[in-house]
Amino acid sequence: MALSTTVPQKKNIKRKAPRGFLKRAMKQQKPHLRLETNGDLLIHLNCLLFIHRLAEESRINASESKCRTIKKEHVVAAAKVILKKSRG
Amino acid sequence: MADSKSSDSEPTTRTLLRRVLDSAVPRTPLRPRSARTRSLSSQRKVTARRQSHGARAIGRWAHVQARGHLEEQTPRTLLKNILLTAPESSIVMPESVVMPVVQPSRRSTSGPQVVQPSRRESSRGSLELQLPELEPSRTLAPGLLASGRKKQKLRLSVFQQGVDQGLPLSQEPHGNADASSLTSTSLNLNFATPLQSQSVGRPGLARRPPTRRAVDMGAFLQDLRDTSMALVSPGDSHRTPIATLQKDAVLEDTQPFFPPLVGRSPSPEKPTQLLAGRAVEVKALAVGFPNTSSGISGEDGVEPLGDAVDEQAEERMEEGGLSVSEAKEATGTQGSAGVEESEGHTEVTEADGSAGAVEAKEPGGSSGDKDTSNRTASPQLASSGPKSLQARRLRQFLEPVPPRSTADLGTEPLQSLLARLPPRPRTAGRRPCQDPYKAGLNHYMKLFSFYAKMPMEKAALEMVEKCLDKYFQHLCNDLEVFAAHAGRKTVKPEDLELLMRRQGLVTDQVSLHVLVERYLPLEYRQLLIPCAFSGNSVFPPQ
Repeated sequence: MALSTTVPQKKNIKRKAPRGFLKRAMKQQKPHLRLETNGDLLIHLNCLLFIHRLAEESRINASESKCRTIKKEHVVAAAKVILKKSRG
Repeated sequence: MADSKSSDSEPTTRTLLRRVLDSAVPRTPLRPRSARTRSLSSQRKVTARRQSHGARAIGRWAHVQARGHLEEQTPRTLLKNILLTAPESSIVMPESVVMPVVQPSRRSTSGPQVVQPSRRESSRGSLELQLPELEPSRTLAPGLLASGRKKQKLRLSVFQQGVDQGLPLSQEPHGNADASSLTSTSLNLNFATPLQSQSVGRPGLARRPPTRRAVDMGAFLQDLRDTSMALVSPGDSHRTPIATLQKDAVLEDTQPFFPPLVGRSPSPEKPTQLLAGRAVEVKALAVGFPNTSSGISGEDGVEPLGDAVDEQAEERMEEGGLSVSEAKEATGTQGSAGVEESEGHTEVTEADGSAGAVEAKEPGGSSGDKDTSNRTASPQLASSGPKSLQARRLRQFLEPVPPRSTADLGTEPLQSLLARLPPRPRTAGRRPCQDPYKAGLNHYMKLFSFYAKMPMEKAALEMVEKCLDKYFQHLCNDLEVFAAHAGRKTVKPEDLELLMRRQGLVTDQVSLHVLVERYLPLEYRQLLIPCAFSGNSVFPPQ
């Protein structure tokens, strides 16, 4: 996946939210905290949006440096910005 | 035969083929009685043309009879006949050839010897460009195919049989080393091609390699140990089961799960049953290796070994699952260098490679800790390299029990591992704990690559994973704060909305529902956005 030029959309992308994973991760991090029934869907949405922003930013960085691939430094720079934005 | 045919500008295939046949047919020596007696030269020309035909998958088995009725034949049979008669020229093989089977029916008893060489030559030549598999069959399996079978389907199996038989056969009548070697080589080569061509011809039959599930080493080794524990007999009589126990011990070192330390058992004889498996294996190793590996240890007697083994066992039990390396280091202090070496040797076999880095740590750790006098030999270091590597691996999975005597060695890799992994309550089964988390993250990483729409480097992906990790932690913290601010212990969607608002995702222009509609394409939307249904009901209920 990392080195493929195109991501075959139909194959890789599952549109389902990993609800079990999210719930378990939340439990592991904050065991005293409970999560409401459909709350993990919103968390999933949040993650999607975060990834979306991160990917956009990385892509912009990569194209600005005129690279055909996204490199680590692009991601790092993008992450700095986006994490700051997503601090809430 | 493209040139000739095209030049003729014949409309139909049939006429074309007939032409070819007419020109080409009579040449074959196998058909002395062929009605068409043409010159060899013409046949040669035709051969060349035929050769340019390309691969014909049709067997050349005798469809000779069909030749007689050329008028009634279909292009298919015409082609077949062409193939049958085609073999000419370009002799690669020497004279002594087994009669090619191609035209059994036609092959009358007229001087098969005479016929064979020329036939063979022709067959070889013509076959060169065509399917290679036909060649050896023709040349080598005279007896088999001489029965005049016309079936092409049997070709492969028959061919193989014929080849098998023909190989020894061919060597006799030929008496030519060249021929036999050639045929054998050609045969060897040709054996491969038919199968390949078959598979290429029918891609539908190709099977995908079965996806393999990773073996759960922990469970597997646990089972091994249980069985070995049951099997193990006390004392030194490990000669026979040494092999298996060695294996177990060696395997053991990589297994992630190890029972928590039980406490020291002072028994010199045998460790308690709890760690009996491991200790026994260690013992077996200790006992077996010095015996098996000669010349390694200078001072290995059975007694010091026994003591060392006991110490090892005790060490093991005490430290609860330390790797063999650690135990060995402990025993090193007691002076059984040979045992360590021997054990290390077995582990070397298992954990070969990637011991370099660990080796660097090893001497550092061990020198600080241990009696360095025991660790003099470089083979020891080399052997302990992989041991410590396994130790590292083990520590990854096990509870981080600080070894009392191997503090140096243990803490170094352990801390690095701890630093890498996110702080999470560790359970005994390290791998199942780690993998689902990463698997879940992988989902998001795939989404990342999808969103990015550009090829990415693997390092970049790992970076993304780290970011996701951090982000997730931030997320949980924020949600906790929000929920606590609202005096709740449960995170509700309002908290999420507030979070998104603060992140700038939800604005006055863009509401949460809009985002839900945009990014969650499934029935999640129905779950999240209250919608009015009939009967004055709203789902989800407000």
